[in-house]
Amino acid sequence: MKDTIVITIPSHPKFLSVVRAVTVGAGRLFEFDEAAAEDIKLAVDEACTNIIKHAYKGDTARKIVIKYKVIRKGFQVVIEDNGVRAKPESIRGRSFDDIRPGGLGIHFIKRVFDIYRFDPKRKKGNRLVLIKYFKRDK
Amino acid sequence: MNITIIIYKGEKVLELSGDIDMYSSPELREQLMSYIMKKIPSLSINFDKVSYIDSSGIATFVESLKCMKLYGGRLRFFSIPEGIMEIFRFSKLDRVFDIYGNIEDVFNS
Repeated sequence: MKDTIVITIPSHPKFLSVVRAVTVGAGRLFEFDEAAAEDIKLAVDEACTNIIKHAYKGDTARKIVIKYKVIRKGFQVVIEDNGVRAKPESIRGRSFDDIRPGGLGIHFIKRVFDIYRFDPKRKKGNRLVLIKYFKRDK
Repeated sequence: MNITIIIYKGEKVLELSGDIDMYSSPELREQLMSYIMKKIPSLSINFDKVSYIDSSGIATFVESLKCMKLYGGRLRFFSIPEGIMEIFRFSKLDRVFDIYGNIEDVFNS
């Protein structure tokens, strides 16, 4: 648990502001500059938005757990839900040239995090692991 | 997010403030669509006090733009903070949206 932050929120969009506040705070605490902390904030918000939309299909009474910690090579955020299993192979954003609503969230996540993967060992729901490497380790 | 509607030089300007996210964007969409349903010819959005926008907020504006284009309406943005402009640039939406520095630039265009 050393230097780990864990928050649990209901899967209601009104709690996304809490996620953003904690995420940007964690980013600053773990010494990312302001621009990077803001990018991390957007990415984690988008990941939680995806859970509400796709894993919980808009059910606002479920649970999302977000864990932040520094690992040896970087900053890790783990986001867990108990909703519908994601199909990682089918998750892709829209082309930037295909101008239509939606399809940008995944781009905002991958823009800042070097690793975006679903933990295959998770038995129920999803465990999304996001890692942003420290620059010296890239 | 708060929405204030002002009339500037006879046209509607929406002044937005706060965070535009999955929680607040439905209210914004409802407001925009109420004008678009009436085929409002021009709508300008002041981003000066917008502190945050996510993909839900962006989707709302993309949808509005597409709807307005269908009848020849103009959706214009101005006073966009740098952090939000950076998101528009990354998404290549700075080439899609009609963006101005300030309200005078909008109405002198």
